[in-house]
Amino acid sequence: MKRDPQKVRNIGISAHIDAGKTTLTERILYYTDRIHAIHDVKGKDGVGATMDFMELEKERGITITSAATYCEWNDHEINIIDTPGHVDFTIEVERALRVLDGGVLVLCSVGGVQSQSITVDRQMARYKVPCIAFVNKCDRSGANPFRVVEQLRDKLHHNAVAMQIPIGLENDFQGVVDLVTMKAVYFDGPQGEKLRIEDIPSELIEEAEKRREELIDAASMFSEELMEAALEGEIPEQLLIDAIRIGTLKRELTPVFMGSAYKNKGVQPLLDAVTWYLPHPGEVENIALDLDNDEKEVVLSPDPEKPLVSLAFKLEEGRYGQLTYIRVYQGTLRKGDFIVNSRTGKKVKVGRVVRMHANQMEDIEEIPAGYIGALFGIDCASGDTFTAPGIRYSMTSMHVPDPVISLAIVPEDNKSQQNMSKALSRFAKEDPTFRIRVDHETGDTIISGMGELHLEVYIERMKREYNAIVHTGAPQVAYRETITQKADFNYTHKKQTGGAGQYGRVAGYMEPCEGEFEFVNKIVGGAIPTEFISSVEKGFKSALEKGQLLGFPVTGIRVVINDGQAHSVDSSDTAFQAAARGAFKEGFKKAKPAILEPIMKVAVETPSEFQGAVMGTLNQRRGMILGAQDEGDACVIEAEVPLSEMFGYSTDLRSITQGKAQFTMEFSCYRQVPKAIAEELIKKAQEKKKKAA
Amino acid sequence: MNKTETFGAGDASRSFVDKDNVIYLRERSMAMLKKDLILRNPLRILGNQEKEPIKEGEFGAVLAKAGVGKTAFLVQLALSNLLKEKNVLHVSLTQPVRKVCLWYEEVFHNIANEYNLKNTSELWDTILPHRFIMTFNVDDFSVAKLEERLNDLTEQGIFFPQLVIIDGLPINDESREPLAELKILAREMGFPIWFAITVGPEDGLEPAIVPASIESLSNLFEILIGLKAIKGKINVMVLKGDRRDDAEDVFLDPSTLLIKNRE
Repeated sequence: MKRDPQKVRNIGISAHIDAGKTTLTERILYYTDRIHAIHDVKGKDGVGATMDFMELEKERGITITSAATYCEWNDHEINIIDTPGHVDFTIEVERALRVLDGGVLVLCSVGGVQSQSITVDRQMARYKVPCIAFVNKCDRSGANPFRVVEQLRDKLHHNAVAMQIPIGLENDFQGVVDLVTMKAVYFDGPQGEKLRIEDIPSELIEEAEKRREELIDAASMFSEELMEAALEGEIPEQLLIDAIRIGTLKRELTPVFMGSAYKNKGVQPLLDAVTWYLPHPGEVENIALDLDNDEKEVVLSPDPEKPLVSLAFKLEEGRYGQLTYIRVYQGTLRKGDFIVNSRTGKKVKVGRVVRMHANQMEDIEEIPAGYIGALFGIDCASGDTFTAPGIRYSMTSMHVPDPVISLAIVPEDNKSQQNMSKALSRFAKEDPTFRIRVDHETGDTIISGMGELHLEVYIERMKREYNAIVHTGAPQVAYRETITQKADFNYTHKKQTGGAGQYGRVAGYMEPCEGEFEFVNKIVGGAIPTEFISSVEKGFKSALEKGQLLGFPVTGIRVVINDGQAHSVDSSDTAFQAAARGAFKEGFKKAKPAILEPIMKVAVETPSEFQGAVMGTLNQRRGMILGAQDEGDACVIEAEVPLSEMFGYSTDLRSITQGKAQFTMEFSCYRQVPKAIAEELIKKAQEKKKKAA
Repeated sequence: MNKTETFGAGDASRSFVDKDNVIYLRERSMAMLKKDLILRNPLRILGNQEKEPIKEGEFGAVLAKAGVGKTAFLVQLALSNLLKEKNVLHVSLTQPVRKVCLWYEEVFHNIANEYNLKNTSELWDTILPHRFIMTFNVDDFSVAKLEERLNDLTEQGIFFPQLVIIDGLPINDESREPLAELKILAREMGFPIWFAITVGPEDGLEPAIVPASIESLSNLFEILIGLKAIKGKINVMVLKGDRRDDAEDVFLDPSTLLIKNRE
């Protein structure tokens, strides 16, 4: 492995579903000689794109797992993470961004900035990832790259500047004019691998000069030298490139490139741009928390000689055991070294070290700071930090949302049962938003995740990769319970008939609050002895796990205890826990309890003629339409819809819009369920309970 | 619960009491919060509590130079109507839905801070269903298109606007026709419309004087309000329409862009 960290780029390619990320990655790998044939995502040759290596991805034409891969361009080493575009898999995108130094935001020249691009952009902002944009699909009818540049400015508030202008558009798309060199670039050869540089076609000179002027104006904000040079009228290329780079690294300028990955146009200049404008690992500040020093923040240095700090950001179960994708931030990870998992404190020996190229790999000896690689045979969870023995650092924790939907699964037979548990334990390790639990009442295994598609993909993977056939129940929404007004309680738990007695009285009140749970002790004069206060709190906490209405967790409640009574002999930890549970039951009923349901933020993009029909479907599903954004032929409808109403929406939407609309959804908040529906839910829950009994 | 009447329409004191005289605490605190906000609302300057400044089919407009606070003013006007459970349709020709939503959140947040309100998320949830945002590209906008979209909403029973706000419609010599069409639409569908109008530097806004640039259109508007930045404060003045005696005592706080009574 070469050793010039300045020539390393760790980049992610993120975009809206179907904007063409995977196709673009495929082309990049082809031009960088990593692969020798091009396959398309929904290819007719049945091979599928190299990055989409899971069978399921090939079948659905979507990218699920972000595979890390490595390539070389112009003497630079580029690690690419291909990220999924669907919101259900957002944790993958977030994880990828955590380990990247720069991003390529792929946008469709027809669709422009779509809702998922907004989500991805927000995530890039959260991890301060500098990015460049690539307007893809310039060969499609309706392509308008400059409209996309405008949208980047208006919708995402990027200081976006065009670095190129297209030569022809739609069917006539031939190449691009580079505004830095002021030359026309054409892509010849069957796979566009031969670049032909020519003078700008005369009809485009005026436009090119105008756009170059805009580019220089924007870039000169970051370089006084450039500003002076511009005044003198002579601008050296490198000066302009340097100024654009400074602006990009500060996230104050977004250079926009254009092309059509599918038609093999514009990819090589984009690769040049990755090496010119995106940062190398040394230019990005990475922070770890020192666990030995009260989690104090420590700035890591990308020095390969310093003690090792690295992050396991992705796990995969392969043919040869668990594969752990790892990014080294400081020091060097060598084969045969001992490293420590700072979460568990366990020391492990590094076995095989590999560099990944989609689903092929090459063995290497070490991973120096700034690089991404993979390890074999390391037992860990995704998000774990590995360090050299002697230091205890943890990389800043990743933002992990709570799951909003659950599904009961039952294996078909004994063999499936065994395979299922293997699969589940691996999935849970790989994906922190995927959770598993066993329902003690029914004995069912319940899986939870971020959306219907998220869980469906795991069910499919169980079947294909583990041969575990499972039957699923109806998806279950993760409801919550809360109270809506203040209520008093005063409960005595008394069991003094024979044997060891139990006695405890707990009194006080409960009221709604903004957080999850608060416990306030206002007892004066020792009505409840101090040693039993924690028992009371424990009792309340255990009662919160299962509400009285549907049996879902109770949140948004403040419990204040201000009185009670103890018995010198019969009071105990158990007695006060039981008293608290009784007190909770008593207060909860009086406090006008309510059910909360997860509300999803839904954005539907549809041709304008279906706008009314789409709004109708959202309205039928108890959706609250926030607004409708008209964008010429297309429009975006934004709404908040209860998750419980969104099952099967994709099928409905397809049928009313002839498959021309698409939607994304993400969790927004919890909101109270309307009274009539709440009653229905409670009735169902009671019937279910009766049946189980 | 059989509520005797909804809050804001009349005697608010009974909206949380049912026929058996049971008092619902949560509804009562919400009703009190709303009442409190309405009473303290400086927008009352534009008309007293019972009487709205403009009626169905009528036009009002806020005039100011760019960046002085027209959108903030209209959003406050919308919020005061939302608190009265009136349906407000906000049409923006310059900003995307998300940005318009942000305006509402920001102004609501500022109001909540100003009056030290607590537990506002619940109040927010109750007013949200009464708001609908529609955005168009200014070049693609036409009254026919708006009417088509409105019909989509009303025919399916999704939303019936009782007040419409149009932000970003360019007002110039060619505006008479679209404004006349809007007037017909407003009469037919039964709602008043408020506009935001950007005036040029040549229009010096003075109380009770209609700026020259829109004089030819002024007969379409029942009320015109001007916003003018003077010495770090933004004065609110009535340029046309009924003017209450204490009208000059209102201003826009430049830091929060909230309308306030002068101390």
